[in-house]
Amino acid sequence: MATTTGDPRARVWWGVAGLVVVLYALIPVLWILSLSFKTTDTITDGNFIPRSWTLDNYAQIFSLDIFTSALRNSIGISIIATVLAVVIGTMAAYAIARLDFPGKKILVGVSLLIAMFPQVSLVSPLFDIERAVGLFDTWPGLILPYITFALPLAIYTLSAFFREIPWELEKAAKMDGATPLQAFRSVIVPLAAPGVFTTAILVFIFCWNDFLFAISLTSTQRSQTATVAIANFTGASQFAEPTGSIAAAAVLLTIPIIIFVLLFQRRIVAGLTSGAVKG
Amino acid sequence: MSIQSDAPVAATKQESRRPAGPTKAQLSEGKRAERNLGLLLCAPAAIIIVLVTAYPIGYAIWLSLQRYDLRFPAEQTFVGLSNYATVLASSYWWQAFGVTMLITVISVVIEFVLGLALALLMHRTLVARGLVRTVILIPYGIVTVVAAFSWQFAWTPDKGYLAALLPDSSAPLTEYGSALAIIIGAEVWKTTPFMALLLLAGLALVPDDLLKAAQVDGAGPWQRLTQIILPMMKPAILVALLFRTLDAFRVFDNIYILTQGSNGTGSVSMLGYDNLFKAFNLGIGSAISVLIFICVALLAILFIKLFGASAPGSEPSGRR
Amino acid sequence: MSEPVHPTSRRARRRPVVVGACAVLAAAAIAGCSSGATGPPVLNFYGPADGATQYSAAAEDCTAASGGRYSVVYQSLPKAADDQRLQLARRLVAGDPEVDILGIDVTWTAEFAAAGWIEKLPDDVAARVRQGTLEGPLQTSTYQGSLWAAPLNTNTQILWYRKDLSPTPPATWDEMIAASERLAQQGLPSYIEVQGAQYEGLVVWFNTLINSAGGQIVDENGRVLLGQGDAAQKALSVMQRVAAAPGSDPSLSVNKENDGRLAMEAGTAAFQINYPFVYASIHTPPPDGGGGGTFIDAQGKPSGTDTGRRVVDEFAWAPYPSVVPGQQARPTIGGINLAVSATGDHRDLAFEAIQCLRNRDNQLRNAVEGGVPPTLADLYSDPAFQAKYPAWEAIKSSLDNASVRPLTPAYTSISIVLSDLLNPPAEIDPETAVPVLVDQVEGAANSEGLVP
Repeated sequence: MATTTGDPRARVWWGVAGLVVVLYALIPVLWILSLSFKTTDTITDGNFIPRSWTLDNYAQIFSLDIFTSALRNSIGISIIATVLAVVIGTMAAYAIARLDFPGKKILVGVSLLIAMFPQVSLVSPLFDIERAVGLFDTWPGLILPYITFALPLAIYTLSAFFREIPWELEKAAKMDGATPLQAFRSVIVPLAAPGVFTTAILVFIFCWNDFLFAISLTSTQRSQTATVAIANFTGASQFAEPTGSIAAAAVLLTIPIIIFVLLFQRRIVAGLTSGAVKG
Repeated sequence: MSIQSDAPVAATKQESRRPAGPTKAQLSEGKRAERNLGLLLCAPAAIIIVLVTAYPIGYAIWLSLQRYDLRFPAEQTFVGLSNYATVLASSYWWQAFGVTMLITVISVVIEFVLGLALALLMHRTLVARGLVRTVILIPYGIVTVVAAFSWQFAWTPDKGYLAALLPDSSAPLTEYGSALAIIIGAEVWKTTPFMALLLLAGLALVPDDLLKAAQVDGAGPWQRLTQIILPMMKPAILVALLFRTLDAFRVFDNIYILTQGSNGTGSVSMLGYDNLFKAFNLGIGSAISVLIFICVALLAILFIKLFGASAPGSEPSGRR
Repeated sequence: MSEPVHPTSRRARRRPVVVGACAVLAAAAIAGCSSGATGPPVLNFYGPADGATQYSAAAEDCTAASGGRYSVVYQSLPKAADDQRLQLARRLVAGDPEVDILGIDVTWTAEFAAAGWIEKLPDDVAARVRQGTLEGPLQTSTYQGSLWAAPLNTNTQILWYRKDLSPTPPATWDEMIAASERLAQQGLPSYIEVQGAQYEGLVVWFNTLINSAGGQIVDENGRVLLGQGDAAQKALSVMQRVAAAPGSDPSLSVNKENDGRLAMEAGTAAFQINYPFVYASIHTPPPDGGGGGTFIDAQGKPSGTDTGRRVVDEFAWAPYPSVVPGQQARPTIGGINLAVSATGDHRDLAFEAIQCLRNRDNQLRNAVEGGVPPTLADLYSDPAFQAKYPAWEAIKSSLDNASVRPLTPAYTSISIVLSDLLNPPAEIDPETAVPVLVDQVEGAANSEGLVP
């Protein structure tokens, strides 16, 4: 890393620049947080900081079936999709990083294609196929597309991590008589675990974030996820606006992200930039 | 919606360490076992990809050649390319296409400039480096719908702290120009950190010695940026731009929440969604889907041909 | 639409799809199933969120009245009509057996019928539903000569105005525009509030005006009549002048029903075209209602100080203004129809239940507590109803002269296209707009064009 002189003036400027970045990143989040604590009387006052505080909005959304079930769906669908995508992605990434087999180029090319793929192009056929085979408005009906679109991310991130692993150990294991599969399982998997974990975080964020598939391929509380539920929130009465509920639900959806960011900042950055940073 | 485009950067940098893979001299039996294992390990990924993308995209093409409106189920017939003719002759398509291109170009340009500044800051700052790197992950990770609501409420008259700064009775989300500006702002806010991280990765490749030498030779900061840093970062920049461009072209969530596409602010993705789920016209909706797919493919090709962005995917396979 | 409709062809056609991979996810398929416990069949009644309290009360009453043969459970749909339609339609195209009774907007009846999502009323049920029901609402439930739904409630607009600013209500749109301009010149509240945003309300306005001028958008056979005569041009001219006149509300192009109500309650509007709910609102103090407590000064301008005069004191109503002098206006009717889903498992019971849900008591409750006018004619002479609806005569006369929106399956597409072309109203060119409207509406009516 470059080091400049410890000139105090420079430190001040860097400090100001850092502050600007922190404000940039946090203001929209703090705004929605502030809205979620405002009372119904003050929610339209336009103040950045609530003038009177309440937890009613949170109580309100947890009393709504539509939100609690959506939260359950979001968590369940995202976790299952993450696990499956990471397992499938790990297998493929290992093969791509380590093994020689026909069709490798095609797989890499195709996953690259999917990374660039406009999801909306899949919405109309998936809608029609899923309603014909009964997957419409079910968990698997969302998990399947999530896995598919998370796979390129998983494969690329993981193969980058795999290239960092000291493969001599695998070679040694093979020399000791282990089959390639055994070598994979007993040597590589433990070494790859941090990379797999990082990938899982990134994939989870992707699934948690999705809106287009969720709004297109669900219709009821059975599988509607939280992003869709928020967008569909209605006010408590004919004249009430659902701003407070939306804000409270939005804050809840942000909590896992904040936790990941705080705990695994380094991993996420490394995951996003792995191939290049470690050059 | 930017996440799935993150990964390929992993492949942008040529790996220096060559892992000790099996050598050519190995037994052909080992080779065969390796092949089989490779195929086996990739099979689930391949099957899912075929099932959830290849088959549906084929099906979408087939649907796009049908007159197929769920409200007129008895009238389903093969109509050839007439759905495409309808879409391409429609002013709504070109309107949405123009809006999408506008959002894409402006937001990617702004993101690049801001992202580069942010990357330089993260690279060089002496103060609170960890804090800066942590907070910028929040826009990246936050659910797009959540961020969009934050922006929507901020700009809603009476309710929002930003709307309060505007003259009375202005409703920026209901006017074409200001609504587009807010959509672009929301996109930029959310995705600049991702751009910055990709550029930061590229920045790490610029050797400090070279910069110091240039400084000794009397090159100013601007010269160092344009003469040394940017050229050396070119591969990372191109990949970042390529993926953000394709990603921005698919913009949907922000528009859906912020304006619902009203006042002419709908993107092509919104248009496809609306024709599918408001008009229940699967034929037209699928034709729009396929056209979006073609647009994205053309954009990618254009990028690679014009700027020489290397297809990042080709590298891992060449590496063993 | 000469194609006969087959309500039985409701099942989605199975298409060849590789199902095998779904087994991969079998473990994940832990989606909740609401397998009914023992007891009478449960009929799920999906209705709009507005009026939820009354609808669930009706569901309970009908459960009790069934004598244990069925129970009706009200399930709230989203608040916005578009979202309601989307949610219902998606469930129905996916063959959801748990949808039994649908409370649908009057404009969707033809669409849902043609798509095979709802079941035609059996002859005996239809005959009972026709008995004593207003003609306009019945028309909205009719598709190709048969009844496909039972009118639950209706809705119509009348003119609400400030009698201090306009001692006699304007009889025509021309008079109203002139009055508004006069008020603006005097610096008094002058806004004419009407639904000008790019949504269904704008189409309602246009439909009322074109029908009042003797025209029609699309007839019941799906033929586009918009271009015939000069009715469309007259209607467009009114819309353009209302929006562009000096003294018009600058945010008219984004205003919906609620914005008009709020402007009147805040004292800035002189006239308002709106539904009867505004009456309940202006008389109900916040937070449950909007309240008309804004003070006005001697001239009628809103005032921050206690002048002893309030907006609500000057609030009055009159029949919907005409387009052609001497010819009564033909206000568009709205409301909710009850239909029986073609995918439900208990359709016979559902037909019984919808008759109960729209019976006299339930309609009276919807009217009195929910603010929606009933569809049974004789309720209008009921003192309880009249007491709650001081404007009942104007409302009844609006309903008797009602016009309906196009009764075609493609109505939603037509409406989207129209609301796009008519917004912002101030920029309509009445001279040149008609051919464009005709062209786009024809595409939409035949489901050949795009919707924006």
